Amino acid sequence: MSVETMLELKHVTMQFGGVVAVDDLSMHIKKDEIVALIGPNGAGKTTAFNCITGVYAPTNGQVFYQDKLIVSNHPQGRMKQLYVGSHKQFPSEVVENTPDQITKLGVARTFQNIRLFKTQTAFENVLIATHLHRKSNLFSATLRLNYKEEQQHRELAEQLLDAVGLLKEKDELAVSLPYGKQRRLEIARALATKPQLLLLDEPAAGMNPQETEALAKFIVGIRKRFGLTIFLIEHHMDLVMDISDRIYVIDFGKQIATGLPEQIQDNPAVIAAYLGVDEE
Amino acid sequence: MKTVKILIALVLAVCAVTVIYFAQSAKDSLPGLLETMDAQQLAAQDDKMLKARDRVTDALEEGDREKTLRNLTRYLDGFSDKLTFSDGVNRELMLFKNYPVLTAGSIFLLAIALALVVYALDKGKKFKKLALPLVLIAALYCGIYIVENITGVNSMLMTVLKKGAIYALIAVSMNLLNGFTGLFSLGQAGFMLIGAYAYAILSIPVENRAQVYQYYAGGLIQFSLPPLLSIVIAGLAAAFFAFLIGLPVLRLKSDYLAIATLGFAEIIRAVFQYEGLGPITNGSNLLRRFTVFSTALYPFAIAGVCIALITLLIHSTYGRAFKAIRDDEVAAEAMGINLFAHKQLAFVISSFFAGVGGALLAMYQTTVQAAAFTSAMTYEILLIVVIGGMGSISGSVIASFLFVAASEWWLRFLDNETMIGSFQVPLLRSGFRMVAFSAVIMAVVLFYRKGIMGDKEFSLARMIGWTRHRKEAHDER
Ligand SMILES: Nc1ncnc2c1ncn2[C@@H]1O[C@H](COP(=O)(O)OP(=O)(O)OP(=O)(O)O)[C@@H](O)[C@H]1O
Ligand SMILES: [Mg+2]
Repeated sequence: MSVETMLELKHVTMQFGGVVAVDDLSMHIKKDEIVALIGPNGAGKTTAFNCITGVYAPTNGQVFYQDKLIVSNHPQGRMKQLYVGSHKQFPSEVVENTPDQITKLGVARTFQNIRLFKTQTAFENVLIATHLHRKSNLFSATLRLNYKEEQQHRELAEQLLDAVGLLKEKDELAVSLPYGKQRRLEIARALATKPQLLLLDEPAAGMNPQETEALAKFIVGIRKRFGLTIFLIEHHMDLVMDISDRIYVIDFGKQIATGLPEQIQDNPAVIAAYLGVDEE
Repeated sequence: MKTVKILIALVLAVCAVTVIYFAQSAKDSLPGLLETMDAQQLAAQDDKMLKARDRVTDALEEGDREKTLRNLTRYLDGFSDKLTFSDGVNRELMLFKNYPVLTAGSIFLLAIALALVVYALDKGKKFKKLALPLVLIAALYCGIYIVENITGVNSMLMTVLKKGAIYALIAVSMNLLNGFTGLFSLGQAGFMLIGAYAYAILSIPVENRAQVYQYYAGGLIQFSLPPLLSIVIAGLAAAFFAFLIGLPVLRLKSDYLAIATLGFAEIIRAVFQYEGLGPITNGSNLLRRFTVFSTALYPFAIAGVCIALITLLIHSTYGRAFKAIRDDEVAAEAMGINLFAHKQLAFVISSFFAGVGGALLAMYQTTVQAAAFTSAMTYEILLIVVIGGMGSISGSVIASFLFVAASEWWLRFLDNETMIGSFQVPLLRSGFRMVAFSAVIMAVVLFYRKGIMGDKEFSLARMIGWTRHRKEAHDER
């Protein structure tokens, strides 16, 4: 593929009332990379994800996906007076995409506080995420004229469950699965949207060291198998150092360091802000 | 094994077709039969006999089967000494008296034959799943037909079945929105009203319009559409209003829909009674003399088809998207589901079927008046949905019949003042039924929080402990 830049953030700022959750964040992710975003609790990592995926419209700044402008905003209305972000230049365009539109472009995500469809089985959870690929319309789907497509979607869902090692739990209710499996199910569900860029919000949260190690292998594996670019938020330093090509570190919404894992490990600012606070 | 099944099916089919043939030919045989029985033309000389005989033919012409049979029995009993009964006549008489039941039974046999053929020829397992429901549905419809012919069209049982089927459709349409998509709407009565009025207005025969619209010079509309088309338009009219309401309201995040739809239902009720619209809606007067159904099979067929369509929809990829929205909007949106488009879709479809239900209700009541479509009606439907189980279609259907049977039939005695000897039973008087009814409902809501079915579906397989599903799953592994 000719796309070199998968994702680019330019001066993204997200301000809630007086709280600047993300402040002048600029970053750049190339195709096929695994990039990690780290920082202490409340640093604004999840908020950054929400700005990329259209959950929030950022107060200021722009997001490009494969060189296409998908999000752009400047302080509007009440925010004109309230704005206290560090970056004082404002893009003139306003571009807003809803989360479903951004997913359709090829950006999928998982959630920090697992959001599975509670009344549905593992299989159904994955199957729902194939809905956006449908060629059928309401009538053909209701009258089952789309059975070939339905068959393909079901096969895809099974393959993905197999890929994350959950085929045996196919018909179990998603919420009845243990924590680690729910996290993997969320990844399978995100993969069912056939993304090119996968955003993982703390995929190893609540996992023990063995599970975390297995997850690291798994993430590297799916990158290869599905040709993915991966952007992840994570607190487990071993995992981050192990699989990331590059790392961004933020604190209080601002970037404090960026570089290769080795560089981050020895960066005094990072140690002060992050490792010093959150002892591993 | 295969050939045996097909042979049995063939034999069944031949028998069924033969019986249907004879039964259908017996349908119009009565006038001829009356002639044959009275070969000597005795009726012409006996005034009483002639009158009795005319009563039979009159009833026949009216199309009132019950009356015809009653008068026929009277005629045959009263003048048996003057009539000749050959074997042929007796057989024909038997056929005439029983042809509906015979036809229904034969259709049932045909369904079994079809199911057998499907079982025998099916290579994939796809159609086998269809065969059993097919037979059950045929059995249900034949059963209704037979019961209707035994108890009469207007018996309490048939009343409950007819109204129950209509309420079932409306409850399922509400469940599609409230139970499956997680949108809380309180506008069902409003959409039913639109459906009922659209149907009535469009289907009143032209010759009746002058009388119905007597205060409005025969009304504005001077044409009349066939009933089925009118029903579809009734649904579309309701859907159109839903579309308009949905445009602004469904973009908002929280539960504005409940308030908006409740308000809409109240407004629409007033609008339809507005004098200025009289040439179309007949103002606050009744709409009547439109085409109605004469057999319970009609509402059953239409409600059945509609509920089947809703069920298919819910199990399609769109239905899965609706359930995803209900379970977690944020996750659903992150999976590429357009929230507004899908909410709007669910709302419009739900209202379409509420409109169709309203049209059927109009036919059932034979008259329509806007004032009757109060929010209490919406709460009735909501209760049925809650009692049946949010997110269970079969629950809504079962609860509808129970609700209608209880309110129209089983609890009726509570309204009658009753004496046991000289002792008057306390509390029993007009209005007590509603009190008892409310108590029953409160008990259900308190102790069966999730309703009769929860969000599960009624399944024969589960009921008779059928292990086929489990076996199939096992085979695949
Ligand atoms: N919707 C919101 N409204 C107001 N404040 C918010 C909102 N979302 C996040 N915040 C604030 O923004 C800051 C950053 O939150 P965020 O969830 O992005 O942190 P995080 O880096 O993901 O932390 P953690 O590691 O705990 O997940 C926090 O102070 C939080 O309280
Ligand atoms: Mg977070």
